[in-house]
Amino acid sequence: MTGVSQLELDPTAAGTPPRRPGRRARTSVFWLSLPLAVVSVGVFVLPLTGLLPAAGQDLAATRQPPAFLPGGTWAHPLGTDKLGQDVLTQFVTAGRLTIVIGLVGALVAIGPGTLLGVLAGYFRGWVDRVISVLIDAQLALPFILVALAIIANRGSSLPVLFLVLALTGWAVCARVTRSATMAIRERQFVFGLRAAGASEPRIVFRHILPNLAGTTVALGTLQVGTAILVESALSFLGLGVVPPMNSWGSMLASGQDELSQAWWIAFFPGLAITLLVLLVNLLGDALLTHHDPRKARR
Amino acid sequence: MSVLLKADGLAVTARLAGGDLRLLDDVDLEIRRGQIVGVVGESGSGKTTLARCVVGLLDRNVRVEHGSVTLAGDVVVAPGVDRTDRVRGSAVGMVFQDASRSLNPLMRVRTQLAEVLRRHVRDITRAEVRRRSLEVLEQMRIADPSRVLDSYPHQLSGGLRQRVAIALAVVTRPALVIADECTTALDVTTQTKVVGLFRTLVDELGIGLLFVTHDLMLASDLCDRITVMSGGRVVEAGDAASVLDRPQQDYTRRLLAAIPSWT
Repeated sequence: MTGVSQLELDPTAAGTPPRRPGRRARTSVFWLSLPLAVVSVGVFVLPLTGLLPAAGQDLAATRQPPAFLPGGTWAHPLGTDKLGQDVLTQFVTAGRLTIVIGLVGALVAIGPGTLLGVLAGYFRGWVDRVISVLIDAQLALPFILVALAIIANRGSSLPVLFLVLALTGWAVCARVTRSATMAIRERQFVFGLRAAGASEPRIVFRHILPNLAGTTVALGTLQVGTAILVESALSFLGLGVVPPMNSWGSMLASGQDELSQAWWIAFFPGLAITLLVLLVNLLGDALLTHHDPRKARR
Repeated sequence: MSVLLKADGLAVTARLAGGDLRLLDDVDLEIRRGQIVGVVGESGSGKTTLARCVVGLLDRNVRVEHGSVTLAGDVVVAPGVDRTDRVRGSAVGMVFQDASRSLNPLMRVRTQLAEVLRRHVRDITRAEVRRRSLEVLEQMRIADPSRVLDSYPHQLSGGLRQRVAIALAVVTRPALVIADECTTALDVTTQTKVVGLFRTLVDELGIGLLFVTHDLMLASDLCDRITVMSGGRVVEAGDAASVLDRPQQDYTRRLLAAIPSWT
């Protein structure tokens, strides 16, 4: 995330002639978005096409290896699990939920986190003191404890999962946004805006927030990855997604008992989580470059 | 010529952990329309505090103890009084030291000008915004105003950026412009151009200019009157020529002696 720190630098290079902005950044945003778009659309569209193997159990065909291994058949391209359920079908439906959890989980953490961070960083004073105490308190609580307490109390469901993701994610966002805001508010153009009579809400929402966009995009993409990983961890502990719902995290959890006999059950969701988080983070970096007009000129 | 800005016995104090610190002490200043008044002094002399006091942008721990600032006859700053929000950006414009930092790097020049105009001119139309933006850039002697309007700050040279910053300060046609060390970051050639531009603007628009600088020679070139400050007090004030030729105070003499010369 070198981009975050670079965004704070001043455009001291004087007299740069205007060039066509952001060609390369746009290209890499495209090439990184493409696989993400294919996967996202794929997991939502594939179940509708009827091309996937049926979802039910088949005790006559348990732990079948994927089609490309000896003993595998194209009836189950990615093999079957211990109940004879098709791994590909599970993988696709689980991917749907994982992507939704990643996106919504990031939004519910970034939204309040950014807002509180900006308020604390811009207005300082008692606003800052109250928010900073909340951030410290939140960060001092072990995440697993918070998750356990909430889930024990409210039961395991999607809204509860998002509540856990929001509670565990906002504090980091707020803290990073707060310090970025403090750096921006000391810049001369903010003082200039006040001298030009701009109102405080206008300065915050029209000038500070866009200058924070780089930080927020970086945090947001990181948070998508974190949300997916947190959900996987919770599902692994049996606290996340519960059957009949299925996510890549819960597939990983159920597949790990079978690793020695049927590695493919855990392998594909595990690989998918890794690649998805990696792509999302790379995309975040590329978006950062694309967003900043000063850097988007190669 | 009527008095535009008048600071009368202004005293400003900062409350710090170690006790109170007097930043301005009994400061008098007067600017008339069409006049350029230079405030000269070394770092910490209180010249920037004076400039900020006029627009009410002092730090939170700083307050006005005595005296007042009046703008065109109305008291805008006095102990316990701050009416600067009425004049900020409309009657008073401000230009800062480093133009590369006084513009929002993520907004085109056009958007930044439009924002100031929309804030201060009621019910302004889109066409009127564009017309006045172009007009103010032309006043800044910018050769290619429509290209500059569509540029981001980083795409402009230092001199152009400073001119855009000045344009932002004068686009609402304020009566008073405060320039706080606004030529310090520029090279000498550009500095001369910007200073010349100020002179033309003051003559053309009949505004008053408060020109804060540490550069006595520059001030003497540009200003009609000069106020020399040291340690928060006015040590000398008068016509530019008389302050320079016949300094009454020891401090001014030392300031003058500190200017390197060829001879």
